[in-house]
Amino acid sequence: MGPGRAGRAVAWAYIAALLLFLYVPLAPPLLFSLGGGGEAGTRAGAVTLRWYRQLWDNPLLVGGVQNSLLVGALVGLITPPLALLAAMAVRELRRPRLIVATVLLPLFIPGVSMGLASAFFFRQLGVTPSLLTITTVHVVWALPFAFLIILAVMATFDPMYLEAAYLHGAGRLRAFVDVELPLIRHGILGAAIFSVILSFNETVRTALVQGPNNTVQTYIWSTFLQVGLSPTLYALMSLLIAVTLGLVAVLLLVGARGAVSARGG
Amino acid sequence: MGALQGRVAGVARYALLVLPLAFVAGALLVPLGLMFVWSFWERAGFWIRPAFTLASYAEFFAGVRLSVLERSLVVAAGVTLLGLLLAYPIAYFLALRVRRDLARNVLLLFTIPFLVNYIIRTFSWVYLLSRTGPVNRALMAAGVTQRAVDWLLFSDFAVFVGLISSYMPFMIYPLWAALDGLDRRLVEASWLLGASPRVTFLRVTLPLSMPGVFAAVIFGFVGTFGESAVPIILGGVGYQLMGNTITSALDVLNYPLAAAMSSVVVATMLAFLLVWYLAFDLRAVLGKIARWRF
Repeated sequence: MGPGRAGRAVAWAYIAALLLFLYVPLAPPLLFSLGGGGEAGTRAGAVTLRWYRQLWDNPLLVGGVQNSLLVGALVGLITPPLALLAAMAVRELRRPRLIVATVLLPLFIPGVSMGLASAFFFRQLGVTPSLLTITTVHVVWALPFAFLIILAVMATFDPMYLEAAYLHGAGRLRAFVDVELPLIRHGILGAAIFSVILSFNETVRTALVQGPNNTVQTYIWSTFLQVGLSPTLYALMSLLIAVTLGLVAVLLLVGARGAVSARGG
Repeated sequence: MGALQGRVAGVARYALLVLPLAFVAGALLVPLGLMFVWSFWERAGFWIRPAFTLASYAEFFAGVRLSVLERSLVVAAGVTLLGLLLAYPIAYFLALRVRRDLARNVLLLFTIPFLVNYIIRTFSWVYLLSRTGPVNRALMAAGVTQRAVDWLLFSDFAVFVGLISSYMPFMIYPLWAALDGLDRRLVEASWLLGASPRVTFLRVTLPLSMPGVFAAVIFGFVGTFGESAVPIILGGVGYQLMGNTITSALDVLNYPLAAAMSSVVVATMLAFLLVWYLAFDLRAVLGKIARWRF
C-alpha cells in the first residue's frame, strides 16, 4: 500500500509549508533591529548595530538581564534533580499513574491562572515578590518538561544493570551513583538546558509574581504595553532568539553525544 | 542497629522520592485551591478579606464578561479543531510513512520555534499581517487583491493565526506518540480483510489514536483558553478573551473577580483532564517514554 511518490511529495510540501509558517516569525525582529531608519517597518537606512549598543545604556534592562541569568541558572540547577526524583518515584513508588499525572499537571494549567494563584498565595503568606518567587514559578513550569526528558532517557536504561549492582553488594545509593547516573547523565543535562530555555522564555507567569523585579521577558512585555515596540526592543528580542537557538544547539549536541555514549557504552 | 539504619535509609529515600510531589502540591495545587476559596472573599481596599459571597461569580456570569467566556470557548474550540486538522496529517505521515529517525528530526524542527517565547513570535505577526506587511504585499503582487486587506490584523483572523502558531506544534507530539505506538498488525489485518484504506483509517487507525487526539485537544485548549498575551497583541483594542480579562480585573484591583474567573478556567481544564485520566491510558500518549508498570 502506501501513497505514491506524488502523495509523499504533497505530504512533504505540506510539512515544509507549516514549518515556514512557524519559522517566519523568527525573522522580523532581526530585520528591524538592524535598521537605521528608526521607524519599524521602514528599513531605509544602512545596517546598524546602534540599537544593540543602546541596550546596555538602560540600567533597568541590564538589571533585567542579570535577573534573567540568575533565575535561569537557579531553575537549571533546581529542576533536574526534582525531575529525576519524580521519575524515580514513578518507578519505585505505588500509584505511578497518579504520580505522572501530578508532575505533568503544570502543563495543563493556563499561565495566567498559575501566575495568579501563585501571586495570591505568596501575598497571603506575606512572601515579598523576589527572584525566588519568580524561580519557584519557573521551576513548577519547567518540571513536567524536565520530567518527560529524564523519563525518556531512563526508559532506555536497562534495570538489569541495577540488579547486577545489587547482586554485587551495592546499596541503592551506590548502585544509582555508580551505575545508573553515568548512563542517564546526558538526560539530566538535557533537562537542565531545557529548563533554562523555558525560564528565559517565560513571560505571563513571571509578570504576575515579579513584584518590582524585571526579567528580560517582562521588560519587553511591560515596555510594549506602556510605549509600544521600538528598534531597541527588537534588538533585545533578536538577542533572546539567538540565545535560545544557541541553547537549543547545545541541547542537540548533548543529545547526540548522549545517544552515542548510550549505544557505545 | 542494622535494621534501624535500614529503616532510616528507607524513610530518607521515601522522603526524597516524595519531594517533587510535595513541591507540586505546595507550589501549585494548594495555591490553586486557595484561589478558589479566595474567589468567595470580598474586596477590601487594595486586597481581599474573608467572607462568603458569590458576588464575584454573579459579576462574572451576569455581566458582559459572560460573552468573554463564550468567545473564549468558541475561539479555543476553533483553534483546537483547526490545530488538530493541521497537526493530524503531519503526525500520521511521520508516524506511519517515514523512517523513525527522520520523523524524529522533523519533530525536532517543529520544537525549535516553539522554544522561542511565543510573545516575541506574536509581535512578528503584527508586522507580517499589517497593511504594508509581506502578506498583504504578496497578495497584491499576486493580483489576489487590489487594495491591502485590513482584516488580517487586529481581528479574529489574526488571533487565530497567533494562537495556532503558538500552540499547534504542541499538538503534534501526542498525536505522533499515539500513532507511533499503534500496533501495525491491526492495520494490516484490516487491509487483508479487504477494507479500503479509507475504511481502515476510519475504523482502525483513527479510533486507536483517540488517546493522542484527546491529549492534543487538551494541549490546544489549555493554551488558547487561558491565553492572555495574543489577544492583546493581535486582537486589537477591546478584544477580550478570558486570559486578558483576568489580567484587566487585576489592573483594577478586583482580586476576587480575577480569582473567580481564573477558577472557572482551571475548573474547565481539570474537567478535561479528569475525563482523559479516567478514559484513556497515559501510556498511549507517553508512548515508549515510560514502559514501566502503570
